[in-house]
Amino acid sequence: MIPKFDYHAPTTIDEAVELLNTLEDARVFAGGTDLFVLMRDRLVRPKNLIDLKQISELQQISFDERNGLRIGAAVTFAEILRSEVVKDRFRVLWDAASVLADPVLRNRATIGGNICNASPAADSAPALLVLDAVVEVAGERPREIPIGEFFTGVKRTALKPGEFVRAVRIPTPPPGSKGRYYKWGRTRGEDLAIVGVAIQVNGEKDVRVALSSVYKTPIRIGAVEKIFKEGGPVEEKIKRAVEAVRSNISPITDVRGSKEYRVHMAGVLTERGLRELLEVK
Amino acid sequence: MSKHRISLKVNGRLHELEVEANKTLLRLLREDLGLTGTKCACERGDCGLCTVWLDGKPVKSCLVLAVEADGHEITTIEGLARDGKLTPVQQKFVEHGAVQCGFCTPGMIMVAEAFLRENPNPTEEEVKEALGGVLCRCTGYRQIIDAVLDAAKEMRKAST
Ligand SMILES: Cc1cc2nc3c(=O)[nH]c(=O)nc-3n(C[C@H](O)[C@H](O)[C@H](O)COP(=O)(O)OP(=O)(O)OC[C@H]3O[C@@H](n4cnc5c(N)ncnc54)[C@H](O)[C@@H]3O)c2cc1C
Ligand code: FES
Ligand code: FES
Repeated sequence: MIPKFDYHAPTTIDEAVELLNTLEDARVFAGGTDLFVLMRDRLVRPKNLIDLKQISELQQISFDERNGLRIGAAVTFAEILRSEVVKDRFRVLWDAASVLADPVLRNRATIGGNICNASPAADSAPALLVLDAVVEVAGERPREIPIGEFFTGVKRTALKPGEFVRAVRIPTPPPGSKGRYYKWGRTRGEDLAIVGVAIQVNGEKDVRVALSSVYKTPIRIGAVEKIFKEGGPVEEKIKRAVEAVRSNISPITDVRGSKEYRVHMAGVLTERGLRELLEVK
Repeated sequence: MSKHRISLKVNGRLHELEVEANKTLLRLLREDLGLTGTKCACERGDCGLCTVWLDGKPVKSCLVLAVEADGHEITTIEGLARDGKLTPVQQKFVEHGAVQCGFCTPGMIMVAEAFLRENPNPTEEEVKEALGGVLCRCTGYRQIIDAVLDAAKEMRKAST
């Protein structure tokens, strides 16, 4: 049983902001695929739940060349997978959506819920990190948070009380850039990552790597970018990038894998991905 | 706790009900509407046995509130057969012996039916991927996958 609460379903952003700021012990939710499990286990027991799914703006994906991609917080991963523009231009995010949980769960699980739940294993997070996403925040004072500043700890975000995520915005990557997400799990479907590696490449000088499940937050490895900006043979750069990834992460041991295994696989996936995207055999 | 008047269609029939906020769609179907074909197991999104369709899309009903289903259309395993005639997927499950204890069968079939409507000509890999969110403790996956592939063939034949 899910513990008792009062349910609210606002239809506008303003109404949702007001409810969140006036109701006692209130929380927003979208798909409920994280929240209801936590509530069932009595790990959280909010008195009021605010359902964001009746706010139509939060369900929309839009794209134009100049402003980039904007994904409403309550857009599901199933919808992201159906978007041709995400598949063509934001492939690393599409990849992440395609391996998040399982196809049935993806009909409910949302991108806003994924980043706000702020698990170190959140599959969309490394993709958003390498794509320089910006989080649009609704609240009494609307603001924006660069994704690099959004995750502050295990299950912690930079959101303040009374705020919620309205949308995620992603600038259009330059033509010719490529990205992929490599998820290593115990099974092919429906498991959190042992390690996830997102890579976005725009030529040999602009290479970005971010990972899930290897640190207290999803993490982008700045040292890799430095390595690729400098000159030198690509073979050498890949080697140094793998080292940089391994030395900048600090995974834990849990049921999914040991610390050592995670460090090892983080390097393996990074190398595999860099070779694929840079077309180095 | 808040109570809500909801109206929803289940297998084509309109229901008007009052539900408490914390009631899940799964419990509403099983306990209030007596539709026990939908199974209740983990109640945490892992097993997929509670899968029903919400407006034609499969969802795990243990993670959907009844109040969230207000105004929507639900289809359960009871709603698939027409006039006692099984769907091709159901029929093939029988023929392939894809049912052992049967506990996962409603979930498997609800996912497979929806999947084949979107992808009538799947590869074996795609079938495995589609069924990834439903667990069979009896582990009879081989027969289940064969049944779905065979049903796909049957459905393609029927539509040409
Ligand atoms: C069986 C199973 C498998 C899973 N596998 C994966 C996996 O492989 N990879 C993965 O990354 N995740 C996985 N998850 C976790 C979960 O499904 C995802 O994190 C999902 O994206 C959460 O979205 P939601 O809309 O359901 O979130 P909800 O449960 O609605 O919300 C999650 C949290 O975020 C808050 N929140 C939601 N929306 C907002 C908003 N707009 N603004 C502010 N706060 C908000 C809620 O208050 C809550 O604390 C899995 C879950 C289950 C049950
Ligand atoms: S009972 Fe819903 S997924 Fe297991
Ligand atoms: S047949 Fe027994 S759980 Fe699948």
